[in-house]
Amino acid sequence: MDYLSIESLQVSYVQDNQITPALKNFSLSLPFGSIGVIIGPSGCGKSTLLNVLAGLNQIYQGTVLINGKSPKECCATALILQEYGLLPWKTVWDNVRLGLQIRGFSKKETVLRTEKILNKLGLLYLRKRYPAQLSGGQQQRIAIARSLVLEPELLLMDEPFSSLDALTREEMQDFLLELWHETNLTILLISHNIEEAVFLGQKIFVMSECPGTIIKELSNPLAGDYSARGKVEFLEITNSLRSSLRGLN
Amino acid sequence: MNQRDLIQKSFYTLTAVVILIAFWYLLSLILNTPALPTPLAAFKSFFELFTSELMSHLTISFYRVGVSLVIATVLGVPLGLFLGKNKRADEFSAPLIYMTYPVPKVVFLPIFLILLGIGNLSKIVLITLIIFYLILVTTRDAARNLPKEYVVSVKSLSANELELYQHVYFPACLPAILTSLRLGLGIAMSVLFLVETYATQEGIGYFIMNSWSSLSYDKMFAGIIAMGLMGFLLYLLLDACEKVLCSWVHL
Ligand SMILES: Nc1ncnc2c1ncn2[C@@H]1O[C@H](COP(=O)(O)OP(=O)(O)OP(=O)(O)O)[C@@H](O)[C@H]1O
Ligand SMILES: [Mg+2]
Repeated sequence: MDYLSIESLQVSYVQDNQITPALKNFSLSLPFGSIGVIIGPSGCGKSTLLNVLAGLNQIYQGTVLINGKSPKECCATALILQEYGLLPWKTVWDNVRLGLQIRGFSKKETVLRTEKILNKLGLLYLRKRYPAQLSGGQQQRIAIARSLVLEPELLLMDEPFSSLDALTREEMQDFLLELWHETNLTILLISHNIEEAVFLGQKIFVMSECPGTIIKELSNPLAGDYSARGKVEFLEITNSLRSSLRGLN
Repeated sequence: MNQRDLIQKSFYTLTAVVILIAFWYLLSLILNTPALPTPLAAFKSFFELFTSELMSHLTISFYRVGVSLVIATVLGVPLGLFLGKNKRADEFSAPLIYMTYPVPKVVFLPIFLILLGIGNLSKIVLITLIIFYLILVTTRDAARNLPKEYVVSVKSLSANELELYQHVYFPACLPAILTSLRLGLGIAMSVLFLVETYATQEGIGYFIMNSWSSLSYDKMFAGIIAMGLMGFLLYLLLDACEKVLCSWVHL
């Protein structure tokens, strides 16, 4: 049984009194504990998809099941955005504990869990700072900490590393992989970067232009392999992805 | 704020005061009219009258402005946040706000005096009304322009509407709210003066006008000094609030 299964999903927006579909006939499935990466042209409905999975958009047609439950019932998902995820008016500490606070955890439990996750990620020393006092990579780590503190099963990431410089981005990819090895998270990540997709994704999905649907699905044996970045197979896969993305234009 | 900043700030403030007084002194020498007494005469009168007369007038004026600012904030901020958050309500109310906002509310003073009497109520209502609009419009615009991502990220932590206001909209708009309060304070002081010159025998505005009509210019300027100080102190108070509540803006 797949942990995440989406079948014939259709999501539409109403704009200027016109109904335009953003996702159409979209199907995807992801086994428990794996990393899936979605790659596709700008505006093809990737963020729309994550909004549905995160339970933020409840108006859709088709079936979306997370561990057999609808996104609304399933509270084990966490969403991480490219930017603006952290609230600039809260310290690192307050940002990380926000989710616990909102879900009504006791004060003691909140402190305990917040401290534990920050400690685990080696970020406790940043707790008194505000997001503006952090580097881009640190901000994303905190954003991840804020999600993980809720002990989610499914981590949704919307272009999480695209505003980082190349080096920091690779660092963050390694960081994410390490985390994933330690936990049994299922991760669905959106990326604009083909190398990132091949490095992280055990399953890679290529989306069409809007209205988005999956036009190609790849199982990628090289995912998580640190030495893969130089291998011939790595190039083959990136090239095949590149050509299917090119074919769209 | 550390000690060095404090010393520096006090020094700048002192310099400003000295320049102001020097300018005033020069002007009084040049004009050489009883209508503009020297700073010395005015300050002398200020200290002589402070406990006997000024204090009671100041208290009542302070009360009028303070209550107005509080009520305007309590009404304007939630409504502004609500309109900024809810597009429908915003679109519905915008024409109403735009049509009534530019109308100078002071023209309603006579009506308020008739309807609400010549006591504090009419004065407070008028000042409140004027500040309310300012706070409403500023808060609404700040809430409107809030990046959607903040809301989405907190919503995804399964926050309800109230928690969105608490953790996102209110703190995000607080700097704008405090700025509008500071602007509002300046306006409130002018309106205060105006309302206190009609049908009342209390308040610093009355004191100034009364001294003027009895040609005691030293007294009149003592009143002006008192009014200036009151505004300055309120301003400092708002400034301190900003420093404490919005420290994240100044990083
Ligand atoms: N709130 C909205 N109202 C109307 N149309 C929308 C709305 N949000 C998105 N759309 C449209 O739906 C389509 C998909 O948007 P979405 O944000 O999901 O794209 P995306 O794949 O995430 O793009 P990007 O890679 O640029 O982030 C786009 O054509 C967009 O114009
Ligand atoms: Mg997007």
